Amino acid sequence: MLEISELRKRFAGGPDAPGGKVALDGISFAVRPGEMFGFVGANGAGKTTTMRIVMGVLQADSGSVSWQGKRLDYDVRRRFGYMPEERGLYQKMRVAEQIEYFGRLHGLSPAAAKKATDDLLERLGVAERRNDAVQALSLGNQQRVQLAVALVHDPEVLVLDEPFSGLDPIAVDALATALQERCRGGVPVIFSSHQLELVERLCDSVGIVAAGRMVATGTVADLRAEEGNTLRVVVRDPAPGWADGLPGTVTVSGDRHVLRTAGGDDQEVLRRAMKAGHVEHFGVEQSTLTEIFKEAVA
Amino acid sequence: MNGLMLVARREIVTQLRTKAFVIGLIITALLTAVISFAPRFMSGPDSYTLGTVNSQQLPLQAAAPQATFEWRSFPDEAAAKQAVLAGDVDAVLVNGTKVLTDGEIDAQLGVLMQSVNREVRLGAVGVSIPALQMESVGADTRYESARTGIAWVLTVVLFMLLFGQAVVVAMGVVEEKGSRIVEILLSSLRPWQLLGGKIVGLGVLGLINLATVIVAGFAGATASGIAADFPPGMPGLVAGVLVWFVLGYAFFATLSAAFASLVSRQEEVNSVLTPLTMVMMATYFVAIYAVNDPTGTLATVLSYVPPFSSMIMPVRMAASEVPMWQTGLSMAAMALALLAVLAFGAKVYERAVLRTGARVKLGDVLRAR
Repeated sequence: MLEISELRKRFAGGPDAPGGKVALDGISFAVRPGEMFGFVGANGAGKTTTMRIVMGVLQADSGSVSWQGKRLDYDVRRRFGYMPEERGLYQKMRVAEQIEYFGRLHGLSPAAAKKATDDLLERLGVAERRNDAVQALSLGNQQRVQLAVALVHDPEVLVLDEPFSGLDPIAVDALATALQERCRGGVPVIFSSHQLELVERLCDSVGIVAAGRMVATGTVADLRAEEGNTLRVVVRDPAPGWADGLPGTVTVSGDRHVLRTAGGDDQEVLRRAMKAGHVEHFGVEQSTLTEIFKEAVA
Repeated sequence: MNGLMLVARREIVTQLRTKAFVIGLIITALLTAVISFAPRFMSGPDSYTLGTVNSQQLPLQAAAPQATFEWRSFPDEAAAKQAVLAGDVDAVLVNGTKVLTDGEIDAQLGVLMQSVNREVRLGAVGVSIPALQMESVGADTRYESARTGIAWVLTVVLFMLLFGQAVVVAMGVVEEKGSRIVEILLSSLRPWQLLGGKIVGLGVLGLINLATVIVAGFAGATASGIAADFPPGMPGLVAGVLVWFVLGYAFFATLSAAFASLVSRQEEVNSVLTPLTMVMMATYFVAIYAVNDPTGTLATVLSYVPPFSSMIMPVRMAASEVPMWQTGLSMAAMALALLAVLAFGAKVYERAVLRTGARVKLGDVLRAR
């Protein structure tokens, strides 16, 4: 279990912000092995700061991060895989050499680093570019190399800041598959993203962060349950005033009346609708992560 | 292999593979060889082509072992004259009594021929003259010009290498900081490993450069024969220069990396290194001054003061004789200064290298935490 508890961080203020800026205001969450955790939040909410603290690139003012019950130190972090928000690769170094180099830095033997590199290049579909300089690659391929750098040492934990940004749908799928494989192997994966449909599709659980605090966390289903579900009823040509007294709102388009309601007795609603006209649709509408997110940060 | 060595190896491999490094190395080698060959062209020829007409060859070689002589014989004076005018021979001895030349004879050659001729004639009648023993009772000035020459080359080479490598270190630090690759590196390396590896790796490249210069210099000097004029104790000087380079390089490169870690863009490297550049330039100018006045007060005093000593002491060692204890004392002072700089540099680097964006103020870094 990767546990992040009560992280606080304040950045020193400049001339324009004498009091400094609070980046993290007591963030806590946990990610189980084999769990894919989606980290969402508006820009500047504190996602990157949290991830940088997890990776030891930034020091928290207070709070702690632990993996398998042990507070993170340098040796533990060496076994983590990290993809920072701002991509960083040696532009003039060759692709395979670069991945191998990072493998060695993470403690792999030369042979193991080479093997892992070959496997990854193959799996990520950039094997034919192995001897090209990184700068000669397209953005999408550079991103694959960046991921390979994070994966080369078979990390115990993966922390990825915006891994999907700027990728085409095919690259997104390749990346998602690679992450899911790791996840199935028991690796906790944390990634941040603004692509909420993607987070919804991939993640077992989600954390929504706003202004340095975790405002909602849990599985997407949990969050939906918390949010409450919306009942959506479509009635054709109903008698006027049919929904009077029922909770919710009615919108009319042509001869179709659409009732949306979040509470009340659904059986009563159905009876009234059937009496009023021809019921075309009656069902529970699940809120999307986007809706949950907007609700949570509002 | 530990992290520091991995980083160092990457630096070395990456640089060795660039065309710029290889071409730079070749040019340096050629340039040094030419410079060490040059005195040969400036001082007159040490090889002469001589002719004889109806004469015995003079035993000039025995009298002047450093020069080379080539002899030709001509059937008559007319043929000899023609060859002299054509420049094929420097001088022709006719009938053992006169010498033909085109214009005035080379002074050294003239004296040599006169005295050897006299000796031969006297020897023929049984008079033998023991050669005069030359003995200097003043300072040994035989090697002065060679020493000055070596000191000159040394000053320029040390300066270019120290300065060049310090800038390469700075660029490397900013490359990693600017591209944020440092974030990934520092999730698997400690800051001192990354900094140390870079300095060690680029230092090894500097030593390769320096060794090339030394080897090319000696090769050129040996080929041209001026190596014979080199003062004794050259191996000691070479060893001293290598140690001084390592000390000076480590000092300047560490500071260079520390200052460079304050900025995030290559364009800012120049301005952030300005104070350091000025110290290096000052060291260079004093070193040039020391070449011409190696025993003067300025050179003597500054040869103990780090980091000036890193260039001035080797120059003093080349240009004059320096007692062992002075070198040792100066090296100890430099080593202490280096330790202080390493502590300072590592601290600044560690605190600044992850603070990307606007230039970080040195004061903030030192006050932080």
